[in-house]
Amino acid sequence: MSDSASPPPLSTPPFKVPAPAPRRPGNPILAAALAWIFPGLGHAYVKRPKTALLYAVIVTATFLLGLSFEGRLYSPEPGQPLTILATFAVYGAGLLNIAARLLSSNPNGTILSVTYEYGCAFLLTAGLMNLLLMLDAFDIAAERKS
Amino acid sequence: MLASLLPTDHFLIMTVYALLISLFFALLWRSGRRERVALFVKLFLALVVGALAVAWLMYPFPS
Repeated sequence: MSDSASPPPLSTPPFKVPAPAPRRPGNPILAAALAWIFPGLGHAYVKRPKTALLYAVIVTATFLLGLSFEGRLYSPEPGQPLTILATFAVYGAGLLNIAARLLSSNPNGTILSVTYEYGCAFLLTAGLMNLLLMLDAFDIAAERKS
Repeated sequence: MLASLLPTDHFLIMTVYALLISLFFALLWRSGRRERVALFVKLFLALVVGALAVAWLMYPFPS
């Protein structure tokens, strides 16, 4: 009998088994949008709950300290182009900023307060931190960052 | 109301600010526990000591 009709050896599979498609942690746009809504929500969406909680605490504490220090929630002012950048930064805090504007009795801060400048710095920093978190959540969801 | 309970000491507020910033960037930029702690310490010291150094350098200038 000839060997040509014998089956292939067991070590080589007769066909290639397709590898399962890697599952993305989530939709990048949705992750960024959730991160904007509330700090840490984007990271919770991409299944990083501990980091999400820490980010939520840090950014919220920074924002609330800024409000308590009587900082200003910036809005654009004619003839003051830098207020556009400051407004962009503060709006980065998402719902925190919107809620503070609606609920605060003093959204413009108290310029005569000793802590006014600190308050502004804390508020701007909280917004900028959250913008970075949006990009981070986007990158994790898009698998650009492990 | 709450503002009256908060500190107005410049150094203390600056230290709290440095603490929050260092924590945030240590979490964002590093993944391992040791690396995070190392970056946190570096950032915190750089911010606090740097601010004190700049303040010391500016001291002779008139207000």
